[in-house]
Amino acid sequence: MGRYKIGDRVTVRDATTLFHTRTQGYARGSTGTVVDTRPEWIVPEDEAFGILENGRHEPFYVVRFNQKELWPDYTGFDVDTLESEFSESWLMPAGKERK
Amino acid sequence: MSTTHGHAPIQESGQLSEFEVLELAVRELAIEKGLFSAEDHRRFSEWAESRGPHGGSKLVAKAWVDPAFKERLLTNGTEACKEVGLNWLEPTGQGTPSDYTFFYVLENTPKLHNVIVCTLCSCYPRPVLGMSPDWYRTPNYRRRMVRWPREVLAEFGLHLSPDVEVRVHDSNQKSRFMVMPMRPEGTEGWSEEQLAAIVTRDCMIGVALPRPDWTAQQVPSQATPSQAKGKGGRK
Repeated sequence: MGRYKIGDRVTVRDATTLFHTRTQGYARGSTGTVVDTRPEWIVPEDEAFGILENGRHEPFYVVRFNQKELWPDYTGFDVDTLESEFSESWLMPAGKERK
Repeated sequence: MSTTHGHAPIQESGQLSEFEVLELAVRELAIEKGLFSAEDHRRFSEWAESRGPHGGSKLVAKAWVDPAFKERLLTNGTEACKEVGLNWLEPTGQGTPSDYTFFYVLENTPKLHNVIVCTLCSCYPRPVLGMSPDWYRTPNYRRRMVRWPREVLAEFGLHLSPDVEVRVHDSNQKSRFMVMPMRPEGTEGWSEEQLAAIVTRDCMIGVALPRPDWTAQQVPSQATPSQAKGKGGRK
């Protein structure tokens, strides 16, 4: 079982961009809601370097952002959203850190 | 020089990228080591490049006419694909590289429009849609679809009402997505085959909506009246 459940508010960590992370620059520091969970997978940081058998496995989460939270100058409408997936270590409970 | 040739000399267009050079080098090594043969490689490439969007069209058309199948498709996309003869593990037993087997179908509703993009590279549900269109892989589409989705959709000719939620799916990990558009009016009583013809690639990426008078092969201006009503075949 992962740390987060559907409905939780989470913030994407703004961690180091060294090597391969698959966590987009635009999502870092942004807050959204967990809308779905994914099976445990090997994290991209290990998979990218072929550390397959002993690589770190983590639960992954689908996070939905309001576009207006993601882009302060968003030109669409309030209803618009964006979803993407993050491994558990890239997320933290919302409110722990400001963007 | 009286017989001037009517155009400038033909040049090799562009140089190989670093990644292409790397792929060639690794491929040659793998062939030398006997991991696979040059023919295996050629056949796999041919197989991969001959996938089209028809599998996706079949999935959507079947879901439109069969609510139980639609439920299965939305619950477990990879399994439901097998019902129309699509196995995500083909042709290697592990799936094609980078496609994996986590397939999710995104259902459009009157209040929700889905669209897919991969900002990091070009992740695309190849087993059901084939190779992605060139524009899908361009930095321009990838960068702008997440930030200005309504503007980009408008450039494709798709204008959505302000009360319709535009939901962009940035396919950044192992999941692969496909959009299931709403069945358009004017298709009542159509067969699955007729319906599949109007579910084009772009409708399943989410940059277009299906129309009863428009298939990938035929635009409305060329359609005969009977075909526009969906009655005739393509004879």
